[in-house]
Amino acid sequence: MPYDRYETVIGLEVHLQLATESKAFCGDDTTFGMPPNTQVSPISLGHPGTLPRLNARQVEFAVKLAYALNSRVNPVNTFDRKNYFYADLPKGYQITQDKQPICVGGELPVKLGDTWKPIRIHHVHMEEDAGKSIHNLHPRKSLIDLNRAGTPLLEIVTQPDLRSAEEADAFMTGIRQLARYLEISDGNMEEGSLRCDVNVSVRLKGATTLGERCEIKNLNSMRYARQAVEYEVKRQIDLIEAGGKVEQQTLNFDPATGATSPLREKEDAHDYRYFPEPDLPPVVLSPEYLEEVRQELPPLPWEVYAHLTGDNGLSGYDASILFEERETVLLFEAISPYCANKKGIANLLINRLIPYCQEQKIPLDRFPVSPEHLGAFILLIDSGKVSSSIAYQRLFPAMIESPGSSPEALATSLNLLQQGDDDFLADLVHQVIGAYPDKVNEYQKGKKGLMGFFMGELMKRSKGKADPAKATQMLSEALKS
Amino acid sequence: MEAYRSLQAIKDGLKSGKLTLSSLVEGYLTRIEATRHLNIYVEVFAAEAKERAKALDEQYANDPASAGALHGMVVSIKDVICYAGHQVTGGSRILEGFRSLFSSTAVERLLNAGAIILGRVNCDEFAMGSTNETSVYGPTRNGADPTKIPGGSSGASAVSVQTDTCLASLGSDTGGSVRQPAAFCGIVGLKPSYGRISRHGLLAYGSSFDQIGILAHHVEDVASVLECIAGPDAYDGTAIPDPAEPYSSNLAFQGPTRIAYLDTAINHPNLDPVVRDRSLHLIGWLREAGHTVEEVSFEYLDYLIPAYYVLTTAEASSNLSRYDGMRFGYRSNEAASLEATYKKSRTEGFGREVKRRIMLGAFVLSSGYYDAYYSRAQKVRRLIRDRTEEILKEYDFILMPAAPGTAWNLGESLEDPVTMYLADVFTVQANMAGIPAMALPAGLHENGLPIGVQFMAGFGQESRLLAFGHYFQNNYPIPDVQTGT
Repeated sequence: MPYDRYETVIGLEVHLQLATESKAFCGDDTTFGMPPNTQVSPISLGHPGTLPRLNARQVEFAVKLAYALNSRVNPVNTFDRKNYFYADLPKGYQITQDKQPICVGGELPVKLGDTWKPIRIHHVHMEEDAGKSIHNLHPRKSLIDLNRAGTPLLEIVTQPDLRSAEEADAFMTGIRQLARYLEISDGNMEEGSLRCDVNVSVRLKGATTLGERCEIKNLNSMRYARQAVEYEVKRQIDLIEAGGKVEQQTLNFDPATGATSPLREKEDAHDYRYFPEPDLPPVVLSPEYLEEVRQELPPLPWEVYAHLTGDNGLSGYDASILFEERETVLLFEAISPYCANKKGIANLLINRLIPYCQEQKIPLDRFPVSPEHLGAFILLIDSGKVSSSIAYQRLFPAMIESPGSSPEALATSLNLLQQGDDDFLADLVHQVIGAYPDKVNEYQKGKKGLMGFFMGELMKRSKGKADPAKATQMLSEALKS
Repeated sequence: MEAYRSLQAIKDGLKSGKLTLSSLVEGYLTRIEATRHLNIYVEVFAAEAKERAKALDEQYANDPASAGALHGMVVSIKDVICYAGHQVTGGSRILEGFRSLFSSTAVERLLNAGAIILGRVNCDEFAMGSTNETSVYGPTRNGADPTKIPGGSSGASAVSVQTDTCLASLGSDTGGSVRQPAAFCGIVGLKPSYGRISRHGLLAYGSSFDQIGILAHHVEDVASVLECIAGPDAYDGTAIPDPAEPYSSNLAFQGPTRIAYLDTAINHPNLDPVVRDRSLHLIGWLREAGHTVEEVSFEYLDYLIPAYYVLTTAEASSNLSRYDGMRFGYRSNEAASLEATYKKSRTEGFGREVKRRIMLGAFVLSSGYYDAYYSRAQKVRRLIRDRTEEILKEYDFILMPAAPGTAWNLGESLEDPVTMYLADVFTVQANMAGIPAMALPAGLHENGLPIGVQFMAGFGQESRLLAFGHYFQNNYPIPDVQTGT
């Protein structure tokens, strides 16, 4: 098989839409999903006489990402114009950073199964988004929605460090997760908050130079990105094996056919005529400002993962579920002071809280019961005061109903506390033995399997509240005589 | 009705009860009708101006103390300055019928100070030109001689003041577009420091050069308008953060002063001998009046125009991309595709000079030529700025003719753009360096046309420049000239 002799090399250009309240260079609202062309103003429409004014939040968000990626932050930031004509680009140019990107270098640790692979970052720069062209709503016309025009973006450009579609997928997952941890973007691919262009090349395994690459544009879902990479890798290997040469070009991916095709011929390549944006003075970031932003950084996903598996002793499986979203970790940390059983907290989150919130479509931090009560709930089970099955079947729903009451108080009022006192159990043992003299006889003759039957009867009479360990012990004592 | 040529005269008239704003506006409107042949106004806001005059008159009658600083100031605005609800077309077909949704900061502040805006005046298309002939509305003529150009690009702004169809005008100055027409029309024209007046609401030509300027008969009125419209603005990140100074109260000149003139300018081969003699005459007078006036070397004069045109056209090629027939303005009916819409709308919508500059600008930015043109021109700009700053560390002002000669014949330069570009040689330096510069009347040429002299000051030194200009205007004994017409 010739395919096995080749290695895939992938670099990504990721576009991350920032969750600022207003646009990059004007005060327009950025809420997603509003009626077309309602979040616009003379500035975002590029009306004559308008000028951009910098939204400082996008700079702050970019600096946050820079520190998270361990990039070097450029203290002096300039903007440039990228000139091209398109119907969804009102000014006829995009404001971007060509010469002085805000972050240079750095890396993102990407989780691949149980291991972490650092993917090097080439740079991250700030720019504004274009509007949306809609070509499939009218038979003859293209429709333009400029709500998105001017929304701040970060373009994250990686080194060619990724070796498969799976790794590219993992990188995107990692960037999305990081953006959500940093609260700079929701990273939602369906809403277009996260998109990528993929640069793909192939080379013989062991080769030290890179093959000629092709860029696949505008991939708005990871499924398409994977399909596109797989198709493109095969196309390139087939081409080389047939004695051909891969030519550098920009490709389009068609989800309907699963194939890539040239977006434009080489001779039509855009000349973007970049030059310094004269309407925006350089943004100078003081050491004090940078330090202030750095101090605000939350623990980062890979740090959290190490903390969960290390100090908290959780399995890799549990940790990888818990660290997926920062709010899960925050709730884990919030319960921790009230409960030393970390595995118990993990189980509660994974088996109960996360599914419950997903079902109810509420965020985890809106779960009605306080961390303190959740911790007490776990302790109640661990101490044997409430049996685990009773706790989950009856006490847990009651806690959601009455989040103000402590689990112990609820268990008491609902009469769910496990009964472990001798009189109560002795009475039950007496009842069971008295009710089935024949079975007792058989047991004493050696039919030890009847113990299950006696226990079942005892539990039934206790309405499930009997402490099973103690009851078994007392029952076997009584049956000996 | 007599022509009022200063805000003080109008204020006195209003105070004495001899004058009302309504009669003042009527007077201007009558003169506008009488000067139609000069093609000054492309739109007169007559009804609106009368209404506002009436309202301001009533307010003044009730409470004279409530009058704004510019009560009595009637202005025209160049057709590149936005005024909410009013058309602004940049003298271009491509903005045919376009109404601005917002007011420029300058207009907003004029109105807040009690000024009346009388109308929108002609200019070169998107302020590109030195003659006011590239406008879609046709040329404006010089009030001193209707066979001559008024200068440009704020030609009609200058003529509107020159012919007393308003008291002051807002123009824009990217390479001399306020000062050169002021000189050609015998009035005062100020280009402030870059960023002194917000560019919000000014149609962009060369963004790193553009500055709104003020034209009037007298320096006092320029100062009064400037102090009302200058200052920081959240809508313009390049605006100077310092607040405006009370320029009109700071006009007392503290002399003597140190003035430089450039060897390469005074000995320039294209400098008209009469204009040169007038420069020497006023240098002599300044020295007699106790000022130090010295010749300094400036080796970059010949590089000014090439570097200026590379940089401004580069910026213009990008700034004018928004005029694409998509969202507003002119769209060709002939186009059947997106690309054809762009090509045809822009081909039909822009005039020749604008297209020439867009193509030149796109060329100097294109890959393979960027380093040879744009990048080098930026280095030249830096050298010019540094040398200019160096001179202005040693001297208070640089003196320079406002233009190499006087206004020329209509039509003369249209087929020879490079000669027209070279006529900006004395004005572009201030824009390259971002410093304030003012053109002042210096009498007539033998040909009967006005001559202007220009003074430049260090960045942010408007107060000093205006005070000196005020002193010069009131004291320079303009020589009697036998004009053969």
